[in-house]
Amino acid sequence: MTSIAQQLFRRKPIPRESADSPLRRTIGLFPLMAIGISATIGTGIFFIMSQAVPLAGPAVVWSFAIAGIVAGLTALCYAELAGAVPVSGSTYSYAFATLGEGTAMIVGACLLLEYAVSAAAVAVGWSQYVNELIGNLFGWRLPAALSNAPEEGGIVNLPAVILIALCAVLLVRGTKESVITNAIMVCIKIGVLLFFIAVGVTGWNSDHFADFAPYGISGIAAGAGVIFFSFVGLDAVSTAGEEAKNPKRNLPLAIIGALLVVIALYIGVALVGIGAQDPKRFENQEAGLAEILTHVIGSSWPGTVLAAGAVISIFSVTLVTLYGQTRILFAMARDGMVPKVFAKVNERTRTPIQNTVIVSAVVAVLAGAIPINFLAEMTSIGTLAAFLVVSVGLIILRVREPHLERGFKVPLYPITPILSILGCIWIITQLRPITIAVFAIWVVVFLVFYFFYGRRRSVLEPGNDLGDPDVPLTAVVRQPGARDRSES
Amino acid sequence: MTLLVGVDTGRRSTAVLALAAQLANSLDTDLVVAAVVASPWPPSRASVDHEWRAHDRAAAEQVLDHAASVLGGEVSARFVVHEAASSRRGLLELVGEESPDAIVLGSSSRGEHGRISLGAVSEALLHASPVPVAVAPVGYRAALDSRIVRLTAGYGGTEAAEDLVLGAASIAARAGGSLRIVSFAVRPEAETGILAGAGGRAEDPVLVEWVELIRSHASAIIDEIEELDPRPRVEEAVIGIGESWAAAIDDIGWTDGDLLVVGSSGLNPLARVFLGSHGAKIVRNAGVPVLVVPRSAAWP
Repeated sequence: MTSIAQQLFRRKPIPRESADSPLRRTIGLFPLMAIGISATIGTGIFFIMSQAVPLAGPAVVWSFAIAGIVAGLTALCYAELAGAVPVSGSTYSYAFATLGEGTAMIVGACLLLEYAVSAAAVAVGWSQYVNELIGNLFGWRLPAALSNAPEEGGIVNLPAVILIALCAVLLVRGTKESVITNAIMVCIKIGVLLFFIAVGVTGWNSDHFADFAPYGISGIAAGAGVIFFSFVGLDAVSTAGEEAKNPKRNLPLAIIGALLVVIALYIGVALVGIGAQDPKRFENQEAGLAEILTHVIGSSWPGTVLAAGAVISIFSVTLVTLYGQTRILFAMARDGMVPKVFAKVNERTRTPIQNTVIVSAVVAVLAGAIPINFLAEMTSIGTLAAFLVVSVGLIILRVREPHLERGFKVPLYPITPILSILGCIWIITQLRPITIAVFAIWVVVFLVFYFFYGRRRSVLEPGNDLGDPDVPLTAVVRQPGARDRSES
Repeated sequence: MTLLVGVDTGRRSTAVLALAAQLANSLDTDLVVAAVVASPWPPSRASVDHEWRAHDRAAAEQVLDHAASVLGGEVSARFVVHEAASSRRGLLELVGEESPDAIVLGSSSRGEHGRISLGAVSEALLHASPVPVAVAPVGYRAALDSRIVRLTAGYGGTEAAEDLVLGAASIAARAGGSLRIVSFAVRPEAETGILAGAGGRAEDPVLVEWVELIRSHASAIIDEIEELDPRPRVEEAVIGIGESWAAAIDDIGWTDGDLLVVGSSGLNPLARVFLGSHGAKIVRNAGVPVLVVPRSAAWP
């Protein structure tokens, strides 16, 4: 009988690469940076201003900088953890291989929340821009009852639900050949934001900055908490450890490079947005960036262009987020942590249909029924908690296995992970108590579920189907092989 | 028992004749080699198409003469010139008259050497023919007395695909060749998984589960084939995985005398050949002749 402590701390042994599936390092620095930029932009910037400006005032510019720096610090911690274990997969897989089953479950709970809720939040943002776009093009809008969550006076946010359904259909069919290439998406996203800056700056009015920080430092921090949502995705680069050329050099460079580009664009958008529109008018504004342009120019075409770009790029973000969610659940189901139904593949479509349908249904309900500001905060806290666990895990691994060869080490250890931890905690404390409470309940529920379900069904439990009794419960992390080094 | 061979009036058709001869030897049938020429326009005073029709017919005769010299009496064949409004319609009319076991067509001349390239006629027949359609790759060559030695049946995980494999088994048995069952999967680009934060190999576990599923079903089908009489020699089920369809298809290895058998789309309610989207990708990337069969073909 395995004790609970053993169960919580047992680690999943790392499968050795078989000779017939050689690891191919194909992704260079710039494509990596493009992935980081693309994964980050589009999640929040298109609608986060109307949530953050009322909290922080014009000082929201600092909120962007703070959220960006914390996101950057944690992304570096991610990169080290990802580089220490040649495991392919999400943070969940890294946590399982290095920190044990219990931590992996907490990370899994955070990731499920982060992905499901951010897909829902992004879908709600998409519905605002779709409404703006059809309003501009056809002079007709969806009735408020069908484009708002119940709490905001509607019945259901129909466009958001439809978007999730469309994504589900694509994912069930297998999107590998239909996803627009990332290079084009990056160009659309950056192009749209530059277009906003270029047009919006013509309406600049310095008076809008007169009352720069009306709510002081706590307002800035509260803004950072909401804005953190728009940096979700930056950590995606760190999961490229296996495919990146020379990961030791390129992973941190790509993360920092993408971060700088994203922060510069975000701050540009924030400055221009506030310069063009009185900070008091941001509250409850839908499809904010498009509206600002319409006011500045006095004609609807710039707003239409921006809305069209936003609709395309947000669509791809939703698709990718849902995809990530289904694949993380798939990995968890194969490990025995969630029911096996999530690991069923349809023979004909080669996709996990049940998994995709269940995930999409849950996300669609969230998107249809919950207002965007709550969704954005829930995403932020899920992400921040996952980041927190990763940063703590990094320190634990350094102490426990100091001689492990790491593909990449964070600079200024231990300052970087400690700053990252403090930053995450600080931003979390600024979120609304209800958000923190819901998050805590979710994690507890998930751990209770683990206690009654995953603990006994884990692949690592001796006697289980896939369990291998010969594997020691605390396998030492495998050193990267000689081949990894020669290739880098 | 016969096979209908469609030849193009514009050019020589060595590739399609090579495949037709191979199939005729294997299935013990004869050939009807047909060239379709344009039927006259409704009568008009000008009668301008007279010269064109004479030219067209002469070209058809020339191609059929060439075909006869290629086959050289080693394969029993009839040669017909058929008049019809279009090549597609002409071939379908001949199917009605001759009721062949299958139509044999060549690739369009513009394709890459060694791959199948569909022209307007073959594309249309692959979505309308009531009998199986075989297509030869560009520049296909085989000895006139050679036979099909192995059938590779594509199994796509549906009941229709199961019928297809069983049908292919009976042809393989009749042709005296062996049978292998294949499924293809295309591994998506690493970028998608990384963008999603799930890692560049996020799709690998899905493929692993899928491969297990396909393996178990394929072995069940093999058990069914073992009970057929006569039954072909059955090779183990193979799975081709690659970064693209071409790579996935090349992954399983091919030899001379291979024929790939692909089924019609499961969404098509009619008992006709109707190539689905997966099927079309397989056909376009195949380096061996492909036989596309209707959903529930009455097998020869």
